[in-house]
Amino acid sequence: MFSATLLGQVLVNGLSLSAIYVLVALGFTLLFGIMRVVNFSHGAFAMLGGYALFLLYGKWHLPYLLAVPLAALGVAALAMVLEYLVFRWFYQKMMQSMIGLLGLNMALVYSAVLLWDVYERSIPPAITTLISVGGVLLPADRLTVVAIAIVALGAFWLFMTRTRFGLAMRAASQDVETAEAQGMDTAALYRMAFFIAIFLTALAGGLYAQTYSLSPFMGDRPLIVAFVVVILGGMGSIPGAALGGVLLGFSESFVSTFYGSAVSSFASFGIVILLLIFRPWGLLGTKEAMRA
Amino acid sequence: MTNPLVLKSPGTHAQPRGNRVGAVLAGLGAALAVLVWPLVWSNDFTLTLGILIAINLIGAVSLHLIVRTGHVSLGHAAFMGLGAYATALSLTRWHLVFPFDLLAGAAVPALVALLIGPLLLRLAGKYFVLVTFMVGEVIRLTFIQWSSLTGGANGLFGVIVPVPGLDSLLHFYYFALAFCVLCVGIVVRILTSELGRAIDSIREAQRVSECSGVPAIRMKVVMFSIAGALVGVAGGLQVYLLKYVDPSAFTIVQSLNFLIMNVIGGMDHLAGAVIGTVFMVVLPQALEQYVNVQQILFGLILVAVMIGMPGGLMDAVKRLRSLSRGRSGEER
Repeated sequence: MFSATLLGQVLVNGLSLSAIYVLVALGFTLLFGIMRVVNFSHGAFAMLGGYALFLLYGKWHLPYLLAVPLAALGVAALAMVLEYLVFRWFYQKMMQSMIGLLGLNMALVYSAVLLWDVYERSIPPAITTLISVGGVLLPADRLTVVAIAIVALGAFWLFMTRTRFGLAMRAASQDVETAEAQGMDTAALYRMAFFIAIFLTALAGGLYAQTYSLSPFMGDRPLIVAFVVVILGGMGSIPGAALGGVLLGFSESFVSTFYGSAVSSFASFGIVILLLIFRPWGLLGTKEAMRA
Repeated sequence: MTNPLVLKSPGTHAQPRGNRVGAVLAGLGAALAVLVWPLVWSNDFTLTLGILIAINLIGAVSLHLIVRTGHVSLGHAAFMGLGAYATALSLTRWHLVFPFDLLAGAAVPALVALLIGPLLLRLAGKYFVLVTFMVGEVIRLTFIQWSSLTGGANGLFGVIVPVPGLDSLLHFYYFALAFCVLCVGIVVRILTSELGRAIDSIREAQRVSECSGVPAIRMKVVMFSIAGALVGVAGGLQVYLLKYVDPSAFTIVQSLNFLIMNVIGGMDHLAGAVIGTVFMVVLPQALEQYVNVQQILFGLILVAVMIGMPGGLMDAVKRLRSLSRGRSGEER
């Protein structure tokens, strides 16, 4: 049962799953942390990312490493229109944002049904080879997913910690009013955070669609995952989202391989409920955030 | 910091005295309309709509009871499912007779709510939202996995409705309406009583009301439990209507529907839940003729209402009312 190949594959699956989860959850937590927006249309943007990658890579045959970021950029650029039309009205309004963005999610998903039909498509894998590491065969496409995610996460981390904009964003996520009082243009900051969040989500959506399958309804799973990961890590906490994504990705990969997916769902939900009851601010959130 | 879950001032007992007669007349008119319309103008379609409104209204109004304590539950449909399964099992396995099957449907979710309530209701607003979402998912997964009891993903079939005469949709409408009036009546009674004022005080300032001797947590657990019982009855009625039960009806989608009914109507008033329910049940049917874009239009309308009326459709009602009184702007 515990052969080296199986373990290696479970490990790589866990890694790639974690990578995708972290990307999705980061966008979600960024929107919640800074704008107090519960983005129920998050899955729809992941779905759009999938279709964008399908178009650029599957149809137009752009080089893979160019198509992946371009697809995410395209979706994020399109999303800026929605930011102007829809999202900016919901900033700092948690309840209203939940319902309104749920409506947006329906509109986007069923527009996709209208445009591209309901049937499932697949995005051709970039590499089909198996890499042998010390006698253990590992699928190279999964490793590519991990590599792309690590580059994106690294860039995001550098942006958040080494630039003035990142600093401003972290400040705004702690206390918007004080940040405004220090002269930060929060409207511009919101737009930037929104762009980054949707970019990460669309990127994850493309990779997710390639790993599993592409359909207008594929966004439901990433949305639930983002929700769970963000609860696990702490609402609005960026390192928490990263930790939560890795934990969920690995435990899902391990538990569902060895005990089946039903046990896996029960275990992850059960643990998160217990965590919420005894440590509601999440693994890495701060207790102060309770008051917000 | 403003808590997004704290609502505006309650409206239940803030009626100006001169308005009483008008309100009573309006209530009587509405009651008459609800009772008489099926006799005047009805077909299977409108009757089914009426029944769906009645069942959903119980769900929405019971969620309103939780909302009034300052909490938002995203697992309400799971409690409806508990009621539905309890009713279906009462009829197929436990051989209970008529009122007792629906009583079981009310008791099981109420009991579950009573057990988990004390743990969950200590949590602050947004954490409660999240944890009820997870609890709802766990309950739904239990429906699917405990197949020896619940029939798994296929659900339970062959429910024989124990009340004679319910095959006629017209009779069913009045049957559902009776339960709907009973449940809404319970909620109205609670909200207009001293209990209701205690709930409102807990929502506005829990610490202060605790200092005034209101047992906040106990009160919230009781409300959570009553809401569970009511929505359980709605689940039971749904079993009566469909004659089967399966887990797909009690997903997060239905929980969100109940929430949308409350928010789209207006969270700070019971009437909001009523308006929201009618809106949510009727609108998708009204858009039926645009089959292709039905869901898209529905989604866009949700977005537009939430942008234009952050306080829900009750905003529009209030605005109209203040316009007709000729002192627009003064009230807001």
